[in-house]
Amino acid sequence: MSRLSFAEIDNTVAGTLEPAGRLYWTVVALLFGGVAFGAACWVYQIFVGIGAGGQNNPVNWGTYLINFVFWVGIAHSGTLISAILHLVRAGWRNPIARAAETMTVFAVCTAGLFPFIHLGRVWMVYYMLPVPNQRTLWPNFQSPLIFDLVAISTYLTVSVLFWYTGLLPDLAVIRDRASGVRKKVFRALSLGWTGRYEHWRHYTRGYLLFAALATPLVISVHSVVSWDFALGIMPGWHTTIFAPYFVAGAIHSGLAMVLTLMIPLRKIFGTEKIITMHVLESVAKTIVFTGLIMGFSYGTEAFIAWYSQNSVEMAVFTYRAFGDFALSYWVMIVCNSLVPLLFFLKRFRTRIGWLFAISILINIGMWYERFVIIISSPSHGFLPHNWGHYMPTFIEYGIMLGSFSLFFFLFFLFVKHLPSISMTEMKELVHQESAHE
Amino acid sequence: LRENGQWKNIGYAEAVSRLTGTTRHAAAGGKDRVRMLTAVEGDVLLHLFAGSLVSWWSSGPVIYEPLSCDHLKEANQAVYGFDGLPSYRMESADLLVGFGADFLETWLSPVEYARRFKSMHAYAGGGKNRFFHVSPCRGLTGANADIWISCAPGTETAVCLGLIREMMRQKPPDGIPSPVAASINRIAGAFDRQRVIDTAGIDPDLYDQLRRSLRRAKSPLVLGTAALSRSRADLQAHIAVNLLNYVLDPALSNIDFTRRHRMEKADSHDRIADFFMHLAEEPPDVLFLNNVNPAYALPPGMGVSETLRRDDLFVVCFSNFMDETAALADMVFPLSLPLESWEEYSGVSDLVSFCQPAMKPLYNAPQIGDVFLRIAPEAVQNGNTAKQVMISRIKDRWPLSDTRAWLAAVRSGGVFGAASQAVPNDGPGIRPGFEHYFEARTASDRTDGLALAILPSIRLYDGRGANQPWLCEVPDPVTKVAWQSPLMVHPETARQRGIRNGELARLTGGVQSLTAPVYETENIRPGVVALQAGQGHHAYGRYARGRGANPFSLLMPESDASGGPGFYKTGPVEIEGTGQKQKLAHTDGSMEQHGRKIAMAVTIDDLEKPPAHEKPGLAMHEFPLTLPLPEGYNARRDFYTPHDHDAYRWAMVVDLDRCIGCSACMAACYAENNVGVVGEQQMINGREMSWIHIERYQQIGSPQDLIFLPMLCQHCDNAPCEMVCPVYAPHHNKEGLNNQIYNRCIGTRFCAQNCPYKVRKFNWFEWQWPEPLSLQLNPDVTVRTKGVMEKCSFCVQRIKDAHDAAKNENRMIRDGEITPACVQTCPTDALVFGSLMDESSRVSQLVHDRRAYQVMGYLNTKPAVIYLRKVVYRNSADSA
Repeated sequence: MSRLSFAEIDNTVAGTLEPAGRLYWTVVALLFGGVAFGAACWVYQIFVGIGAGGQNNPVNWGTYLINFVFWVGIAHSGTLISAILHLVRAGWRNPIARAAETMTVFAVCTAGLFPFIHLGRVWMVYYMLPVPNQRTLWPNFQSPLIFDLVAISTYLTVSVLFWYTGLLPDLAVIRDRASGVRKKVFRALSLGWTGRYEHWRHYTRGYLLFAALATPLVISVHSVVSWDFALGIMPGWHTTIFAPYFVAGAIHSGLAMVLTLMIPLRKIFGTEKIITMHVLESVAKTIVFTGLIMGFSYGTEAFIAWYSQNSVEMAVFTYRAFGDFALSYWVMIVCNSLVPLLFFLKRFRTRIGWLFAISILINIGMWYERFVIIISSPSHGFLPHNWGHYMPTFIEYGIMLGSFSLFFFLFFLFVKHLPSISMTEMKELVHQESAHE
Repeated sequence: LRENGQWKNIGYAEAVSRLTGTTRHAAAGGKDRVRMLTAVEGDVLLHLFAGSLVSWWSSGPVIYEPLSCDHLKEANQAVYGFDGLPSYRMESADLLVGFGADFLETWLSPVEYARRFKSMHAYAGGGKNRFFHVSPCRGLTGANADIWISCAPGTETAVCLGLIREMMRQKPPDGIPSPVAASINRIAGAFDRQRVIDTAGIDPDLYDQLRRSLRRAKSPLVLGTAALSRSRADLQAHIAVNLLNYVLDPALSNIDFTRRHRMEKADSHDRIADFFMHLAEEPPDVLFLNNVNPAYALPPGMGVSETLRRDDLFVVCFSNFMDETAALADMVFPLSLPLESWEEYSGVSDLVSFCQPAMKPLYNAPQIGDVFLRIAPEAVQNGNTAKQVMISRIKDRWPLSDTRAWLAAVRSGGVFGAASQAVPNDGPGIRPGFEHYFEARTASDRTDGLALAILPSIRLYDGRGANQPWLCEVPDPVTKVAWQSPLMVHPETARQRGIRNGELARLTGGVQSLTAPVYETENIRPGVVALQAGQGHHAYGRYARGRGANPFSLLMPESDASGGPGFYKTGPVEIEGTGQKQKLAHTDGSMEQHGRKIAMAVTIDDLEKPPAHEKPGLAMHEFPLTLPLPEGYNARRDFYTPHDHDAYRWAMVVDLDRCIGCSACMAACYAENNVGVVGEQQMINGREMSWIHIERYQQIGSPQDLIFLPMLCQHCDNAPCEMVCPVYAPHHNKEGLNNQIYNRCIGTRFCAQNCPYKVRKFNWFEWQWPEPLSLQLNPDVTVRTKGVMEKCSFCVQRIKDAHDAAKNENRMIRDGEITPACVQTCPTDALVFGSLMDESSRVSQLVHDRRAYQVMGYLNTKPAVIYLRKVVYRNSADSA
């Protein structure tokens, strides 16, 4: 890496912002079409009722909450990479920190839509806010959903600020190279950054502070999300392992998503020199670690269910593995805890093809993990008479397609309009490494 | 009016003047030019019909009821010399044996018998009487039997004769005239144990149990076959049953001959068949049809439709629905509804109940009585309107001499318990000459084909219920299938025929065939398929048309020439899979309880033992009964302090030993609480809205143990739904009710997810009450919009009413003053509602019963619905 000069970094990154070709805009237009389609499905659902989806009694929650948890999970590793690894000074995170943090912001935005989509009467959603009113009605602070509201909105705020703070010096670089309207825009965005000593001093302090602030959020937000389930009393949900298990799962899925995004990105923009194989390999190693935690959690859950000798609890786990949704369960086990073990072998973690394929598999597996958790417990609850099934409908798939389109739409816009690699941090990295030499 | 094959609207005045003209003209043509077929109606109406017909020189109306029990009537005539349908004193019997009589579904007077049945069968005073049910297939009545003995179809007579032989040998009754005894012995002598077991193919152990119980019983009562069975074997069975009752108790003290069911007014199927034969041969000019649907309920071989279609016959159908029969008529005459008119009906002979208008007429449709008074004014002299005629007739017939007595009767809805005037001819007693019924022994249909059993439906009756959305929406109590009538098949039969559960199968019998989805169940004998009656309409209304299949279409006249024309049976049938799937609209996820503490039973022996002191624990089966009261607070288990309740803590006690699973509570709840009807497709999608549902549990491989559990909001003191709602839409009120505030609900559905009882129902859509069904809506209860959660409120509107009344009178609400709709409707008093804070209330007493428990109580939800275990004879583990 020491071969990279500062100028090379600037040129490479700024090169990603060159005016895009027709292909790019076609893809963006297609993605926008997907977003519009998802939005249309949602509007239809608002007019017709939640029955447009596949939810029923007993499975009252469906893909909307699966996608919610999925996207919140995706968000997490962004913060892990940009904040936690920043605090522990893991140098390999610098080339991907910006993209990962961006992923966090967009994933939280996407996730944040789902609770709204899920609501039966979304137009009444403001009841959840502690707005003073003449009836002195407050939200129920005992409810995990209020925890969620607080946690997710805090997370979104902090992530956006953290992301924007990190962007400032880079925005200034772009501003300096841009002309015309673009220059004006970036001038406004870069908030008058001149690179003076005080600027850098405040910037590094601020960035460190945000990193410190974001770090507990990685743990807390997904713990809170897990409490949506763990504080309920349904069998298969009401367990203490849920918080760490969800956090690990979130990071697992997020890291996989980072690989899924970075591998095409470095190829398309020719940033292989910056996002080196070493970086990808480090991500893969972390995935091995989170994958092991996942495998351990799955085992523990099943073991505790058996150890409790509670027939209801045992039945749910038997049902997960061998019941109507057995396929999803085994997809989850294989993709999340077995496939990542391949990264133990250097061969798999240093070949782009394998890295990409496995990252996709983990993404799928993590989606199914949420499916298994959210669907199987209520469908196989306490009273056997009320057991039921669940099958997503066209509208739900449409909205899901919309959510993926939205995420990639935003991300595509981002990579062409904002620096997707932190020039500042790359320079720091290069500087540090050259200093060590 | 139909003209040249087209329907044309005409006013009532024109219709009446046309009818007047037509009938005058017909009457001028000679005798019997005007005929009438009617359902069983009140005396006043029947009298009016008869009078009108007489004025047209015609004979009186023929009364047709598909489920008329006319074979029972014939058997009563043959054996007891009693031409009618007496009532049965079930409550004084100590053993009940049924040969298919569906007295909880359609037989004579099901609600009355449900009550009488439970007064003998419910656990009381340390004991409980038994009920055996012998039939090939088990409906709701069979599901309530302590022991269901499956016999081959048509062999009920053999079993019954076997029992007669047994009783004649083991416990010969006193005072049987010797010729009678001799002829009984001649009939039954051949039916020894082995022969009965071989013929009927019944389980020898169960048969022995039945014999033993019958020998020991002091006051047994035996009931015949189902109301809709109409074969020769069925008549024989009724006669055999009557003989058995006689042999068991020559005084026939459990049969009340003075209290007669009005269904006896119906003409026999022989007569109906004759009537249609005559119609076809020499058609009269005018045919009136009132409240009957013969084109649906009579077998196709009788040619009803062809007759009604004839051009030279002017058919007038009094009907508010374009059903199969009305669709063939020349004039369809809509009438006012019972809710709009004055009527009277005496269902049994010692009472008469009045029907009074409860609403202003919606349309200007007249009452049928008024129509007849206008077209045949000379028929009746004592009044100008049907109401006047009715009042004057009733005053003559019943002891209502002065106005005061009349007003009192109107207020109470009728005259009850008046001494009956209908005394049997010369007292009930055995009549010789029943022997010849057994001469034409029906060859036991031992063919390779399957036998078809037509099951009565508690919901659809003879098909009249098929257009009522509430009745369709409530699932069948035993199969738990709503909106559809599946073909019930034993898993073994299905395996042999290579058909799968939920597959559409074609059922062929003779030239007719029908298709229905297959429902595998162990409540039917292998080799028999069963289909519920009531569906398969090709006309009628939007809820009935084109739904299900009509098993009546497979009925064939019995080939046996010696029988009258009124015998029908289904020949051997065959089923084959079509390969198509049809999802069943069933509401149960699993039939079994999986060893959980849900619908519990206790053996009678265990109840009699002194209570063992079990150490309460925290696991499912050791968790103590925890009442939703401050005394239920346990600092070691509870995080939050108990709720304070103001004066009342509403609760319900559900006695599983009394619940017969009839699901009337469900229908009542739909009506009271404006619960949405979702229809077949949404039922398949699992979106039924019922606030109370009946869970039916049955162990696979051990079909004897069947138990019903009414499940409704438990109004927990420690409600899982309350704590998870972000906006406090579920809210615990000062009287312990778990209120759902619809306006506050935003539809997160977290409460439903977290409810262990799954009694919270979400409004997936905006449910529809298309005109005029919107008139069903109860104005005291909010209609919920899409996107909000709802559930049982313990009929909070009635609680509020009671509060108002109590406040006006400056007192507390009395125990029993509030009856939620389900409690009010329950025919067997299985549900009791009251306040647990009142120590003398019935619920407070009942929760100290040894049988009391809470469903899934170990979750520490502290439900306010306390269940009393069902009492059984055997341990379910033994029978497995």
